[in-house]
Parts: sequence; C-alpha cells; structure tokens
Amino acid sequence: MIVFKTYLKIINKRKWPIILYTVLLIVFGSITISTSDDNINFVASKPDVLIVNNDDSALTRSLVNYLEENTNIIDTVKLDNVDDALFYREVNYVIYIPSDFETAFMNDDNPSITVKGSGDYYASFGEIILNRYLTVANTYLRLGYDKEDIISNTESVLSNKVDVSLINETDTTTLAKVTYYYNFTNYSILAGLIYAISIVMFSFNKKMICYRTEISSLNKTKYNSYLLLSNGAFALLLWFFYVLLSFIMLGSVMFSISGLLYMINSFFFVFFALTLALLLGKLKLDKNAVGGIINVIALGSSFLCGAFVPAAYLPDMVLKIAHVLPSYYFINNNELIKDIVTFDFGSLLPFVINILIMIGFSVIVILLTNGIGKKNVNTNE
Amino acid sequence: MFKHNIIYSFKLLIKNKVLIFWTLFFPLILATFFHLAFSNISDSEKLNIIDIAIIENELLDNNSYFKESFVYLSSSNENQLFDTIFTTEEDAKELLTNNEIVGYIVLNGDGPSLVVKNSDINTTILKYVIEEINQNSIIINNTLESSVNQNTTINDISNQIISYLSSSNISITDQSSDNVDYMMLPFYSLVAMTALYGGILGVAMINYFLANMSSVGKRVSVSPTKKSILILSGVIASYIIQLLGISLLMFYTSVILNINYGSNVFLVFLLGLVGSLAGLSFGIAVSSLFKVNEDTKTGIIISVTMLGCFLSGMMISSLKYIIDKYIPIVNLFNPASMITDGLYSLYCYDNFNKYWFDIMSLLIFSLLLILLSITSLRRQKYDSI
Amino acid sequence: MNYVIEVEHLTKKYKSFKAIDDLSFKVKKGEILGLLGPNGSGKSTTINCLLALLNFKQGHIKIFGKEMKQDAYDIKQDIGVVFQDVAVFDELTVYENIDYFGGLYIKDKNLRKTYINEALDLVSLKDFAKFYPKQLSGGLIRRLNIACGIVHKPKLIFLDEPTVAVDPQSRNNILNGIRKLRDDGATIIYTTHYMEEAEMICDNIVILDKGNIIAEGSSDELKKLAKIEEKVIVEIMNFDDKYLKMIGKLKNVVDVTYASSILTVKYNKGQNNLVTFIEYLKENKIEYFKIYSERPTLNDVFLEITGKELRD
Repeated sequence: MIVFKTYLKIINKRKWPIILYTVLLIVFGSITISTSDDNINFVASKPDVLIVNNDDSALTRSLVNYLEENTNIIDTVKLDNVDDALFYREVNYVIYIPSDFETAFMNDDNPSITVKGSGDYYASFGEIILNRYLTVANTYLRLGYDKEDIISNTESVLSNKVDVSLINETDTTTLAKVTYYYNFTNYSILAGLIYAISIVMFSFNKKMICYRTEISSLNKTKYNSYLLLSNGAFALLLWFFYVLLSFIMLGSVMFSISGLLYMINSFFFVFFALTLALLLGKLKLDKNAVGGIINVIALGSSFLCGAFVPAAYLPDMVLKIAHVLPSYYFINNNELIKDIVTFDFGSLLPFVINILIMIGFSVIVILLTNGIGKKNVNTNE
Repeated sequence: MFKHNIIYSFKLLIKNKVLIFWTLFFPLILATFFHLAFSNISDSEKLNIIDIAIIENELLDNNSYFKESFVYLSSSNENQLFDTIFTTEEDAKELLTNNEIVGYIVLNGDGPSLVVKNSDINTTILKYVIEEINQNSIIINNTLESSVNQNTTINDISNQIISYLSSSNISITDQSSDNVDYMMLPFYSLVAMTALYGGILGVAMINYFLANMSSVGKRVSVSPTKKSILILSGVIASYIIQLLGISLLMFYTSVILNINYGSNVFLVFLLGLVGSLAGLSFGIAVSSLFKVNEDTKTGIIISVTMLGCFLSGMMISSLKYIIDKYIPIVNLFNPASMITDGLYSLYCYDNFNKYWFDIMSLLIFSLLLILLSITSLRRQKYDSI
Repeated sequence: MNYVIEVEHLTKKYKSFKAIDDLSFKVKKGEILGLLGPNGSGKSTTINCLLALLNFKQGHIKIFGKEMKQDAYDIKQDIGVVFQDVAVFDELTVYENIDYFGGLYIKDKNLRKTYINEALDLVSLKDFAKFYPKQLSGGLIRRLNIACGIVHKPKLIFLDEPTVAVDPQSRNNILNGIRKLRDDGATIIYTTHYMEEAEMICDNIVILDKGNIIAEGSSDELKKLAKIEEKVIVEIMNFDDKYLKMIGKLKNVVDVTYASSILTVKYNKGQNNLVTFIEYLKENKIEYFKIYSERPTLNDVFLEITGKELRD
C-alpha cells in the first residue's frame, strides 16, 4: 500500500502533461463530433460560394440558379473583405461574373469569369460545379443552338443526378468519428501515459532509491509486483477514463459490438504503452531527456501511422515504414472496425491479427526491459 | 559588464542540452515528420485509384459512351482514376461487402445508380464522375436523335461533342494566389511552435536571477550589478538563440523540404523576430508571475504552446478552419495562430492587412506580458525564500 | 566608522511565526563574529535580512554606517556572501564560475584575472580550474562555493555554514582561508552549529534561539556562563546508580549524570579533579573503559541557558 501511495504522490506532481493531452483529446473529440459539415471526415458537403453577378441576363440567372442548387450561397460577406473571408473560411469560392458575360458567351468572344478560392478541397469542388455548367452550355452553343435552347437543354441535362444508395445499415459517419477519436488517443496515450509512468519509474529506479529498497525488509519480488500493479492500475484508470470520454462524447454508437471492439483495441494499445513506459523508466536517461524522447515518439508515430492525417492520405513509403510501429496496428484496427458490417470470423480475423501483433510488440518490450534490469544489477555490483 | 553577462548567459544556455534540444532540434525532427506525412496530400493531383464495379446488362451494352468512358478512365495511364470490373450484381455485392471495391454502378431505365458502403471522399468523386459521364451521354444521345437525318456520321458527331465537352471556350481566371497550398499550414504552425518554445529559454534565464528560484539567484541578488542589467542581458542571449532556432528551421524547411514562405523575405523575417519576442515575453511572464518550480514553469510553456499550435492547425489542419469559422475569438488569444496566420497571409494574399494585424497583435501580446513581468520583478524582495 | 554592521530591533515574521524577534547587535571592523544556534533559530533569516533579500516589518539595518537596501549597490560592492547551499552553475567550469560571479563586481578584466587566481589559491583549487562542478567532490564544491563568494575581495563577508558535510582536510583548508581573509582586513559573519569551529576562529559569538539573542561575548566570556570549570567523563558499563548520590557529595561537584554508559561529573572548580576521581573509582572498585577531562564548551553554555542541546 505504501508503494501505491508514494506512486500516487509522485504522479500527482507530474499530472500536468496528462491533463494537457487529455484536454487536447477532448477539444479534438468535441470538435469532431459537433461539426455538422464534417470537415474532418472529408465527407461530401456543399461548398460555400459567393456570387458577384454583374450581368443580369437569362444565361447568368440560369447559372446562378444552378449554383444555388448545388452550393451554399453566401451573401453576408462584404466585397472589400473577400480575402479575409476566404482566409477565415467564411466562404470557399468567389465567382465574379463580368457585366457583358452573356454577350461574350453567345458571340464566343473570349468569355471569361474571374474566381477566387480558399485553396482547399471545397474550393476545387466549387470550381468543378461552375465548370460543369459552363462546359455543357458551351457545348450546346457550339452545336449551334440558340440562347433559349442552350439554357433549357443545359438545365435539363444537368438535372440528371445519380442515385446513391448506401447498403450499410450501421451509421458509418458516426463510426468514422469514433475512429477519429480513438486514432487521436494514440497521441494522448503515448504522450501522456508514457510520460507520467516513465517519470514515476525514473524516480523509483534512481540508484540510491534502488539501493534503499534493496536493503529494506520488503521482499524484492513483492516490491516489484506492487510497483507493477500500481502502474497497471494507473494505466487501466486512464484507459477507462478515455473510454468513458468516448461514451460521453459519442454516445449511443459506443453501445454496440463496434464500440466493444474499439475498447478492446485501445486496451491492448494501452497495455503496449505501459510496457514501453516501463522500459523507458528503466533506461538511465536524464529526467529532462525523457520528455524530449517521448514527444518525438508520440508525435512521430501519430503522424507516420495516421492518427492525425488519415492513413489513406499517407504516402505508401511512409506506411511501409509505419509497419514497424505498434501505433500502425492500433490505428489500422480502428479503421477496420469502422468498415466491419457483419461480425464473423472472416471480418474479425484481421482485427485479431492486429491485436496479436500489438501483444507481440508488448512481449518484445517486456523481454528488453527484463534484459536491461539484469544487466543493471550486474554492473552495479 | 553588459558584454560579460551576455557572453556568460549565452554559454549557460548553449551548454544546457535539454533547452537546446527543445528549441533547436525538436522543431527539425517534427518538420521531418510533417514532411513525411503531408508530402502526399500536397501532391493532390495524384489521387488514389478507386476500385469499382459496373453491372453488366443490356442498357450498359447499348450505352457505349458510358461503358467506353469507364474503360478509358480505367486504362493504365497518368490519368487513371478507376480500376473497373464488369460483373454481375451478386458478385459486385460480395466484392463490396469484402471491401474490395468502393461501390458499384447499375444502369437502369432512370439512369445510373450507385451503390456504396460509406459516403466518403472516394464515393463523392465517384458520384460526380458518373454524373458527368451520364450527362455527357445524354447530350450525345439527344443530339444524335435530333440530327439523325443529316449527312454526318454518328461517329463524327459524337466525337465532336466529346471534344466540345472536354474543352470549353470559357476561361475561368483564378485570381486567388496561385500557390495556395493548405498543406503549408502545419509547417507554419511549426514556426509558431519554435518561436513560442523559446519561452523555455526565458524561463531558464530569469530563474537564474531570481533569489527564490535558485541559490545562484541569491548570489546574483546580493551583487552590486543591477537586476535590470542581468535580466536584459539574459533575455538578449535567449533571443539570439531563439532566432537561431527559427532561422535553422526556416532554412531546413525551405531549402531541404521545399516549404514556401512567399516571396517577401524581409516580412517573413520580421514575423520571425516579432513571434520570437512573443515567445520570449511569454517565458518571462510565466517565470516571473508564477511562483512554482522550474519544471512546472517549463511544463506550462510546453503545454500552452502545444495547445496553441494544436488549435492553429498543427496536427489537424481542418481544426484551424473550424475555429476560424465558428469560434474566431480563440485566435485573438492564441499567439500561435497569430504567427501561423501571419505567415499564411504573407504566402497566400496580396494584401498585407492581415499580416500587419497579426504583427500588431503579437506586439501587443508581448508588451502586455513584459509590462506585467516588470511590475512583478520590481517587487524584488521576498517574504520568504 | 567603528561598526561594520548595526542591527536594531529587527523583527521578521512568517505569517504568525516570529523568525526573528527584536534582534539588535553590532559588529566591529575586522572581527569574526560567530552566529550560533540550533536549526531554525533564525541564523539564515538574519543573514538574508542583512543582505536585503528578505522583507522585514520592523527594525533597522546599517552596513558600513549606511542603511542597507535592495538597491544599495555601493554597499553590495563590498559584501561577499557564501551561502549554505552551493550556488554555482553546473554548466560552467570552476574558473568560469568564479569569473562570472567576479564579473558582477569587478569590471576590469586584468584585475579580475589576478583576483580569480588569488581566490583559487586561497581555496587550493588551482589544479581544478578547468573542471565542471559535477566532477568535483563535496568538499571541493564547497571550496568553489567560497571562492565565488569572496573573489572580489569584499570588506564584509557572510559565511553561512560553509563547512557543512565537508571532509576534515577541506574543513581545515576552509578555516585557514577564513583566518587569512580576516588577517587581510575583512570583517566576517560566520554561522555554524559546530561549536569547536566557533571557539577556534571567532572573536565574538552571538548565540541565537527562537529568533532571540540568548548570549553574546567572546568564547571565554560565554564559557563562564556555564558555571562549571571542568567536566570529567567516564565510560562505564553496568554502573550502579547507588554511587550517584555519593559522587554528588564529592568536593566541587555540582552535577552528576549517567546515561548511555557515560558518566558525566561537572565541577565548579577545576583543580586535580580528574586525579581525585580516578582514585575514587579505584577505591570503589568500579571498572571503566575510558576517562577524560574536558573544559566546558559552548554547548554547555547553551545547555545551561536553554536546558537543551545545541546540536538538535
């Protein structure tokens, strides 16, 4: 009990990093969940478009109608403020239609439209929509139709939409959010948990303190197992807290088999983080150096394995390198869970393999830690 | 006297490996990670090839334009967008369940319909391409019907329409900065991080001079050298190292990682100077206002900096947009986003209003903190040590 | 200017706790004043107040005849301080440390160089000039700590327990150094809880307890307060308590105690006491390991006044 009490006292002194990374997780989680337009998930939604129409004509009215159907028209932005509005994403795409556009268009006299974009996915999307109308209308013009026919044909052709049906009965957008949340825990767990535990172990593993406990009447194996239990309890507590947070923030979707899988997956990852923390605590590093190493490990594996930027967007080379990091398997599992529709042996096999790989990593780290422990005893004598 | 102090302050900082790691090398390591993680995204032309299936039926056989378009888009060349399998509906369903394809297309009387599992960016692209191909085929069919009795051959007409559709005569002039690339953002917030991390140097330096923080501080306090001279020289030494860190990072990112900071080198440099000043005054303020030990002070700097950079889009770029759009007030208190915005606006926009606003914000931020620190440091005596 | 330091009615409170209570004393030029007292008696607090490091509510402090203030830089110029905690930079070498702190007082580079070498000589650290503090043993670091405090040849030196946890060789080295500084004309305030040290080097001694001066004077003057002239100490196993009363009635004996196998007999006059007592033991066939006589120490003075040991 005295070991655990001391453990808690030391960890209490080092609570700030854990609080920080948890705050980051909460901020990230709540923003992911609360944003309706799914910026983070890259799900198709309409771009915000500002139209400056200086040509009140039948053609431009038709164009504006088409844009109104396919984009969100923004009319609250002042014209002299367009750059700032683009900068702050109040609008993604600005379209300036010049005063004699219809005439130039009908005479095929170098008609041109000026635009400004926010330089992101939504801006490109806005451009695709604008371009679509202009291309179709221009095709009809070149096929020799008159103005009325151009407008009516263009409108009728563009009204042909593709019917999209989702066969997935599970709510994938919500599951995608869960995946984002758990992917981000990769960072919080690595940076917060490892930092706290390795710093505490660092204190316990100080040479003189080691000697002191060595000569105390407390059985050494017992002492070590108390210490391990304290660490385990702390890791378990943090895991439980992060899982609880996911229930609070994501709600009902967590009460499902998918939710359970996310929990299992993160449990094994926390276990790995615990073993890694114990290893770092054993290494006789400078206390301040530990902070640096952990930050590099946490940020590095988060970037390389797709905790921040989805793995689908990472270069193949990076993903190949990432295979040597346990975070890759943790994150890969989160992505898998999102897509599992029916839970059977076939669909769960890759999940289980990833879990086994994480356990494998943990075992290797434990063996390494023990190896170092033995070596230390020998050199001390 | 002043020179003596600056030289020794400099020596003290340079020999502190941990400080040097955080301020000089940590940003370089992060920049390398960013480069690895983001290099693909900036290369947005190169979209991943999407696996799809098309159900074979009579309607498809009759709509050669539709079928040929997909065959063309699936042929291996630079513009390959899809990998298409023509198969039966049952097979397609199974492929979709096993995640081997993103979706499949069925042509029926009302036009094509798309069956997918999730809606994500790939299905969005897919939907738009199908719509475009379908609409084009309608244009071709309608035109052929209306000109069926004329003397031109069907092939000629459809080829002509296809060429019309592939290049319109209307030019769209993009007046936004032509080099807008939002993947620069994490690198900009990295510059912000480096500037703000400099605060650690300020903390270390001030602590040396505070009698209640270190025994060395006591010794310094009983010497006849004015505290203002000591602190000023310490601060100048810290500032020099900070600028070194920023320059190193900018050199590494711009020359080796090809990050573009825009053409106005002087203004970028000015932002670096002012940003570092903000970081330094932040460090001084934390050091003089908080009566806690040095580890905690460093912890506060690192935590606040990381939070600020996180909110200015370091880890997830879109987070910045969300904050800009929904809770812009956060930016007024976040020096990291002032620096990031400043760099971003220099790079993206022709008008400098935003840039100067950020410079002013940073200066006000620094000034406020320095004034607070001075009032606190002037009460130089302690009730207890 | 007869007095280097004049302290009048100094009172320092930490919340409701009085660390220093109405303290007044004066220090003559060229003397070594010993400031003695158990832990928590207010020694360090007194020094920190004298150095204007700490606030205090009541009292006046004059150094070199002038009011001591935070910005009294002309006074500070002539003060040297050796703190109880080692106050050196780990990042700098022995030489660089002394140079840095010396540089806070002395602008002239060449003069500083000479002074640094003299300081290195004083504490015998010449051979270690290029070492980093981490490479030095505890005693050597203490010596560096002293060198940093006195490099600028101050006229008034505060030494706050400079010999704590120091090996005998370094300790003698340090004490010799302090005498040399005094011989060169410096006034020294020396706090310690080693009585022997104070008896050896201090011209005047002030004993503090609970923020009050409980005794002051030269070592000899103070010892008279102890009311005894000699102590005879005998190590005896299994001493029979029945002899205690008998011993108490012996000539000149004022007190006799037996604890932890040690019998202490205190005499108010000091002639032939040891011989007489040895004979007494022989007569009564009391076997002992060791017997010796001791002059009273400051500890006895402290014990006499407060009823408790100085080394708490």
